[in-house]
Amino acid sequence: MTTKVSKPKTRPKPFLLPSYCKGCERCIEACPKGCITPGKEINPSTGLVPVSLSLDACTACGLCVNACPEPYGLRLTEVGGPEGVQSDFELQDPRKLFGPRKTEAPKPQTIPDQMLPFPDCEPLVTKGTYASAIGAILAGCRHVYGYPITPSTEGAELMAKLQPLLDGVFFQAVSEVATVNMMYGTGGAGLPVITFTSSPGFSLMLEGISYMIGSEVPGVFVNVMRGGPGLGNIAPEQADIKLMCRGLGHGNTQAIVLAPSTPQEMLDLTIKAFELSFKYRNPVLIAADGYLGQMTGKVTLPKVMRKPGIPDWAVYGDAAHRGNLICSICLSEADLERHNVHLNEKYERMIAAEQLSDSYRCDDAEVVLVGTNTPSRMAKGAVATLRAQGIKAGLFRPITLWPFPVSALKPILRKAKHLVMVEASNGQLEDEMRLAISKAEIREFPPIHAVRRLGGILPSQEEIVAKVLSLQGVRS
Amino acid sequence: MSVGAFYNKFDRHANGAGIKGQSTHYCPGCGHGLAHKFLAESIEELGIQDRTVAVSPVGCSVFLYYYLDVGNTQAAHGRAPVVGLGHKFANPETMVVSYQGDGDLGSIGLAEIVSSAQVGVPMTVVFINNAIYGMTGGQMAPTTLMGQKTATSPHGRGFINGQPFKIAEMIAGLDGAIYVERVALYNARERNKAKAAIKKGLRLQTEKKGFSFIEVLAECPTHLKMSPVDTTKWLIENMLPMFPLGVKKDVEPKELFKTFVPTHDPEKVANIVSEGRGEKAPRFAQKFPQHLAKDDVAIKLAGSGGDGAQTAGMLITRAGINEGYDATHIPSYGPESRGGTSYADVHMAAEEVLSPASPQPHILIAFNQPSLEKFGPDVAPGGYIFYDSSVVTKAPKFDGRKVYGVPFSRIAKDLGKLVVKNIVALGALQAATDILPKESFLAAIRMALKSKCAMIPLNEKAFDWGIKAVQEG
Repeated sequence: MTTKVSKPKTRPKPFLLPSYCKGCERCIEACPKGCITPGKEINPSTGLVPVSLSLDACTACGLCVNACPEPYGLRLTEVGGPEGVQSDFELQDPRKLFGPRKTEAPKPQTIPDQMLPFPDCEPLVTKGTYASAIGAILAGCRHVYGYPITPSTEGAELMAKLQPLLDGVFFQAVSEVATVNMMYGTGGAGLPVITFTSSPGFSLMLEGISYMIGSEVPGVFVNVMRGGPGLGNIAPEQADIKLMCRGLGHGNTQAIVLAPSTPQEMLDLTIKAFELSFKYRNPVLIAADGYLGQMTGKVTLPKVMRKPGIPDWAVYGDAAHRGNLICSICLSEADLERHNVHLNEKYERMIAAEQLSDSYRCDDAEVVLVGTNTPSRMAKGAVATLRAQGIKAGLFRPITLWPFPVSALKPILRKAKHLVMVEASNGQLEDEMRLAISKAEIREFPPIHAVRRLGGILPSQEEIVAKVLSLQGVRS
Repeated sequence: MSVGAFYNKFDRHANGAGIKGQSTHYCPGCGHGLAHKFLAESIEELGIQDRTVAVSPVGCSVFLYYYLDVGNTQAAHGRAPVVGLGHKFANPETMVVSYQGDGDLGSIGLAEIVSSAQVGVPMTVVFINNAIYGMTGGQMAPTTLMGQKTATSPHGRGFINGQPFKIAEMIAGLDGAIYVERVALYNARERNKAKAAIKKGLRLQTEKKGFSFIEVLAECPTHLKMSPVDTTKWLIENMLPMFPLGVKKDVEPKELFKTFVPTHDPEKVANIVSEGRGEKAPRFAQKFPQHLAKDDVAIKLAGSGGDGAQTAGMLITRAGINEGYDATHIPSYGPESRGGTSYADVHMAAEEVLSPASPQPHILIAFNQPSLEKFGPDVAPGGYIFYDSSVVTKAPKFDGRKVYGVPFSRIAKDLGKLVVKNIVALGALQAATDILPKESFLAAIRMALKSKCAMIPLNEKAFDWGIKAVQEG
């Protein structure tokens, strides 16, 4: 048996800056030699009572240091450094006291995206949700998380099939709550990430979306809207427009909402969603409906694809990004107000730069139908029927629901005698339009009528035509 | 001497002003500080500081990112393990630490911790159990002891609140967890074990081994309303019997975590998303079938699930697109997987399908009696109605429409496979309407059956029999 011979003279003894001691007294119990005793004096800078050190019997065993919960509380220094209780912490240079750090976090660098030429492919004949999934792959997305919910499951299923072939990840999470928080992790690491969901599932994701917006984390959400409220049914509706445009969880939140109306747009707008999401460091939502998700059509693939880099702000888990933080906390009111002002400025930039819409025969239109998603296709059919009857009808189709494309609508409003909203909701698109018109300070606009169906029934071409024909002055 | 992977100065703690730049926000006697310290020392000793991402929870340790000089993400309440999974999948080389308290992990985040532990992706969870809610001000935690008085159990935890949760034991029961230990901080020996456990959990992660979980029994003097020394005594006397210390599980994983690097090779991506880049479809049609509709033919296919209405609808769509037209297909199902209603609306347009629904189709293919009765009257005047005469016993009269009763099922059955009855129907459709040339349909069928070549001859035969049935009346 050997006995360790302690060499107290050659080992450093503890020292303490009293301002860093909270007086928890764990070190007193830890010291075998009784060197430490409860303090008597209140430290003026903390209002706490630090312990007293008397190191005559100290063997420099280090047990007190091991017991101290404060990173800069009881420490051992190099030989010849300070010992015992040191006063006046303001004068102490931490670098001298604690030694220089081995590695300082470097200034984070951006690894830029690369746009690569994409080989020619024959057009696909595919479903809207599949087209969106393929769009995500071409946007460089290799991380897909989700929870199965009708009518969005095809997106997850195709990703589950294709992502492993690309050494990407499809992960079926325990819930939509887990899904959105996994997206928060991967988006926070600076990589493109997507989920496919439908109305009830989207509701569950709202908390996480608020966190993503607050922490400025990108991510793309495809909400294939179905009938609500509650469980509702699995037929197409557009009743989440209010939620997506006005209700993204708690706090001052806003996100660009893209509304496709064909399988081709499901692909094109998904690619665009990733661009916008990284451009603004904000989630982007794709508002589809149950019909569009299931609809098969012709889809032409683009000429380029994206290989994503890593943004400078990401928490990627490597040396280059060690100094970063993804966080939505601003503890002081002033900091949080500043952060919200920053977010608001970002929203204003989106409103100024990202409005998208499509108009069909609106140039001379006296009756302008306004609709989006699948109902806009019924409306387009109605325009063709009405034009054949000599009625000057047109279709205005918002592609961004938020920001509402009011700039493009403005000149159309001047000529129109009637606006007819075509919606599979209780007027949620109309509310967005009215708000946008009001904010744009447009005082003169024609009467707004509506063809609304609910519960999974879409407005039919025939009822839209009938509505238009019933309007005053249209038949003359 | 090193201070581990702590920041030199806590700039995020009140902007690092004054004392806060080098001291934590924790109360005197709190266990969090020691757990932080053991974590910081382990990270430095294992040399993983650059590739560690710490996920802070909601609770007193929400500000972990003030202190640990690693990549930091702050998570929503209870969600830290799945945020950690998101980091791990983004960069599988990341060492993920999910640091959580008892409310965060044992209450609001139960689904996340249980599912993450079961998945077993390497991650290190440090779980602080102090039997009380700290940040919200001393409310009952899932680990609060029976009889313990808190702000929300002022008469003592009783039967209505259920029993305290033994989290470490629960996690140890999950297949994905490979190392689970409960440790404490109340004396030098236990502190050494606590440090060793946290370091081991991280080391297992560096070895790509699996999910590790360290439960730390910690003191919360403020909300237990005792001095730090008395809190430690209380913990030893009351918490230890309920939450016994020690290793709950320590096993080798069945396999190591495989890291991966996603591919962005355009050739590979193109082949995967378009199934071999697609083949150029030959064209057979001379002109759009204007004898059916001017520029947009609407078709409805209706039957029960399993009748093949959707597949037939898809084949018409594909054939139309192959011919350079625009075409769409929308399915509509009942909630049942099999046997419920199954309708398909198909459009084929010379230029662009405007409305993709077919409420008044030019063509109806009905696979059963109810479908025929339901949709037959909606067919446009001059339109076509096809129905399966082997199952429709009493076909209603449809004036002004061309009606074809064809025994889809019987023909298919005679060919040996009932499932090709929809192809029989397509043959009948082609022969009666000439919507597209026969070759268009056959090309679409062959494309669809590319991966099941053996099925092609049977389908071709079924298609021919459909044609024959119409031609022979």
